[in-house]
Order: sequence, then C-alpha cells, then structure tokens
Amino acid sequence: MIESLLSAQLLFAAAVLGALYALIGLGLNLVYGTMRLLNIAHGDILMVGAFAAFWWFTLTSLSPLIALPLIAVFGAAIGLALYFALFRHQLAQELDASVIEGRSLLLFFGVSVVTQNVTALLFTATPRAYRHLDEVYRFGDLAMTGNRIAALVCAVTLLIAMLIFLKKTLFGIEIRALIQHREAARIVGVNVEKVQMVAISIGFAVTAIAGTLLSMTEQTNPFMGFRFTIAAFVVIIIGGLGNIRGGIIAGFLLAVMEIYAVTIFSAEARSILIYGGFVLAIILRPQGLLGVRKRA
Amino acid sequence: MRDTFTLITVILAGVGLLYFGSIGAGPYWQIVALNLAMWIALTQSWSLFSGLTGYISLGHAVAYGLGAYMMATLFSEWPIWVLVPMGGLVAGVFALIVALPVLRVRGPYFVILSFGLSELVKYVLLVVETALGQSSRLLFGAPGTQTLLVWMLALAAVATLLRHVIGLSRFGQGLVAIREDETAAETIGIPITRYKVLAFALSTVIPGMVGAVMALRSTYFEVLQVFSPTISFTIVTIAIIGGAGDARGPVLGAVFLIALSETLRGVSPQLYLVFLGLSLIFFVRFVPNGLTGLLRGGGR
Repeated sequence: MIESLLSAQLLFAAAVLGALYALIGLGLNLVYGTMRLLNIAHGDILMVGAFAAFWWFTLTSLSPLIALPLIAVFGAAIGLALYFALFRHQLAQELDASVIEGRSLLLFFGVSVVTQNVTALLFTATPRAYRHLDEVYRFGDLAMTGNRIAALVCAVTLLIAMLIFLKKTLFGIEIRALIQHREAARIVGVNVEKVQMVAISIGFAVTAIAGTLLSMTEQTNPFMGFRFTIAAFVVIIIGGLGNIRGGIIAGFLLAVMEIYAVTIFSAEARSILIYGGFVLAIILRPQGLLGVRKRA
Repeated sequence: MRDTFTLITVILAGVGLLYFGSIGAGPYWQIVALNLAMWIALTQSWSLFSGLTGYISLGHAVAYGLGAYMMATLFSEWPIWVLVPMGGLVAGVFALIVALPVLRVRGPYFVILSFGLSELVKYVLLVVETALGQSSRLLFGAPGTQTLLVWMLALAAVATLLRHVIGLSRFGQGLVAIREDETAAETIGIPITRYKVLAFALSTVIPGMVGAVMALRSTYFEVLQVFSPTISFTIVTIAIIGGAGDARGPVLGAVFLIALSETLRGVSPQLYLVFLGLSLIFFVRFVPNGLTGLLRGGGR
C-alpha cells in the first residue's frame, strides 16, 4: 500500500494536474489582484478553452498544441470584451474595493450561467473527448501518455515564461505594482487602465490555454468549469494574493492532495476535499480571502 | 400598524386570487401558481436574512434540499403535516450549527463561502446516499397539486408577512444597522452575532418547508437535483431583479421570473437559464442601486 502510494505514477498525475491548477490560479490571481474582480466564471473560461480545442481538433485534425496561440487570443478577447462591457466603467469610478468585489461576483455569476448554457445550447451537454497523442511511454514502472507529457511540458513552460514576464519586464512589474498598491502604482505613473486590460487579457488567455491542455487528458462538458473555479480560489487563498510563486506551490499542493484523496478513498472524495478545503480556507481567514496584503 | 393591515389584506387577496383563479383556469395554471408561490416563499425568507443584513447567501439550496430529503426519507412513515414543519426545523437547526463560523466571514467572501458550503453538503450527502445504496428515492401516493398549492400559498403568505413584520421590528432595524456598518452597530450595543445567527437560522426554516412540499410535487428525490446551485442562484436573481428592500421586491421578482420561465422553459431550459443570467447581469450593471445597498455594509 505504502509503496503504491509513493509510486511515480501518482506523482506524475499530481504534477500534470498541479501544473494546470497553478496556471488557472495564476490567471485568477492576475484578474483578482489587479482589479478586485471576483471571477466566479473563471472555470468556465477554462471550459471554453477546452471546447475550442475539441472543435479545433475535430474540424482540422491538427494538434490542439498548434492552436494554443489562437486559443490564447480567443481567451484574451473574451476577457477584454467583458472588461469593456461590464467592468471598465465601474473600475474607473474608484469605488470601494468591497463594492467592486460584490458587484463583480454577481456579474461573473451571471456570466458563468450564460457561458455554460450557451455552450450547452450550441454543443449539447454531452461530454466530449478526443484521442490525440495517446501513445504510452514507459520509464521503469512509470507509464505516461503522450498527451499528459505534452500538457505538463506546455504548462510548466508557460508558468516559467509568466514568472519571467512578471519579474523582468516593465509590464510585469507594473502588474505586480498594481496588485500590491493601486494608489501608489498610479502615483508613480503606472497607466492603471492599460495594465488592467493587459492583466485581464493574460489572465483569461492563460486560463483558456489550461483548458486546452486539460481537454487533451479529460472529458469536456459545458458544466465542468465550476470545479476549477473553486480549485483556483483554493490555490490563491493558500498561496496568497499577488504571490505568484506561492500560488504555483499551492497549485501543486492541492493536486497532490486531490490525487491521493481520489486514490485512497473514491472519486467523490475529490469534490468533498476541494469544497471542504475551500470552506476551511475561507473560514480560517476571516480577515478576507487573501488577507496577506490589503489595499490601503 | 396600518401598513401591516394593508399588507395582510393584499396577501389575502393575492392568495385568494392565485388559489381560485388557478383552480378555475386548470391544471397548468395550478402548477404556475405553485411555482410562483414557491419562489415568493423562498425569496422572502432569503431576504429576511440577506436583504436585511447584506450577507448575500448563495447557499439556501441547502435548506430546500434538507427539507426535501426529510420528506423523501420519512414519507412512508409519518404524515405530511408533521414532515413539512420538520423539514423547516432540520434546515433551521443545520443553519444554527454552521452559523457561528460561517457568519464571521463578511462581504463577498461570505457569498462564495455560502456557495462552497452548499456544494460541500451536496457532495457529502451524495456519498452518504451512494453508501446507502440510494441513488434516488420515489414517493408513492403523494397528494395532488391542489393540496400542495394550499401548503405553498400558506408558506408564501407567512414568509411575506414575516419579512414585513421583522423588517419593521427592533430586531430588523438591528439587522439593517449591521448591513450599513457592522462595527458601528456593535459599538452602539446591537448584539450583532446573536442577531445574525438568529436571522440566518430563521431565514432557512421556510425554505426547508418549501423543499419538503416540493419533494411531494416531484415525487422523486435525487441529491444533485434538490441541492442544485440553480435554486440559490434563482433566489438571488429574483431578489436583485425585484429588489430586496421590502416585501414587495421578491413578489415582483418572482412574477418576472415565472413569466420568463413559462415563456422559455418550454422552448429550452438552457435558453431560459441564459436569459436568467442575462437578466442578472443587466440588473446588476444598469440597475445597481438595490445591490449597492445590499453589499455596502457587508464588505467592510
């Protein structure tokens, strides 16, 4: 039993899931951190990315990996459209953060319901999957399918690229400045409006890419998103607001717990673990979801 | 006082109209009246807590679900008039148990917490039912729509009256003070924790009873269906569309919802949900005042 629990197989599964959690956590971190938008539709963006990949593969027979830039642009376009339609006006009013959070939560809730049901109307609620890169590679005891390896490599590459972007480029530093202190960032000359647009574009793009990668390993259906929304929230609660590296660690941590819970108990344990972790995380941090740094 | 008498008259007139009107108009309209009364009862109760305190709950499906669960498990053993109040009692007791830790969390965090908790309860019960070998339960020999309509109209009437009376009471004013500024409310001596817990528990009792009655309506119980987040979501949408400021809001919102659902549900349930989501977005974005009032105090 112990041996099987330490198996490379489980750790590999956890690494793939963890990399995806880290990505969607990163996406949520950017959107929540810079604008205080509580994006409860985050997982639905992932679902849209997964569906885009499914149709790309079905219609063109080309690898979804080729379509990643396209799907990223698609995700970013959705983010920008929502930004202009729903949030730009409110953010410009410089309302209290709690008002922004409350309204954005309800707006995104509406967005979530609309996205799920429009997808179900267009493509029916039938779960969909496709076979791509499903040949098995063996290293000793470890058996890995090509699509999981590809998902892991792509996700980790993107994570590293994002870390470098946020640390080294001026735009990245401006985003982090906005996350840390909105007013101070404005005072030192950060173009808040522009940074917000970039942040929501990148946040949505990264999440859509995570959806594409996920679709290569799991079934896709219009109502799959909520689980990932909650996972993303757990990740940024544990990792800390604006703490990109913390979020990445938290993503892997959550994935390890989840994979082991499913293996030891049952598939239902997954939902109980995620929602239980979510409930506990919020209750134990009553000062606010992320309580690490507050906007002054 | 005169206000209350006017309201009672209006409620009685409304109940009479819905009852005799729908009985006269036929079975379809009885179901429409039943659904309308159900959403009014649910949203008035929700508003008793969320409207007054500004703590927006996305978890009231749990109360509904527990009531339905109660009815589904004990239907063959006990009479309905015991089980319906018991559904409310169980929901209220559950709310009391979770209230203390949950109500420490404020503002938008409370909203997502209530949602997460609701999903947690759903999946725990799913595991329990699976372990019991019960993927679904059937209720044989449930009473007809007319009887259920009487129950539901009574629940809607009581919920509306309760919302109105508590809104005017000292207790209700205390809850509003919590919404406006929780810290200030505490400073002037309002027992905020006791008030919040009491309002929270009270607001789940009628939804528990509604759930019990609705289990009789569907004669079929399945965890995923009765603990559905769509129920919580619909309640909030009704309240936001109608406004949760007083007892009129939920009624207006429920009428809007029923009109929407009766027009679209026949076409496609998904289309109906799309329009429901769009209505929510529209009202939050362009008619935001009710919402601002709701969330202002809770978010500090």
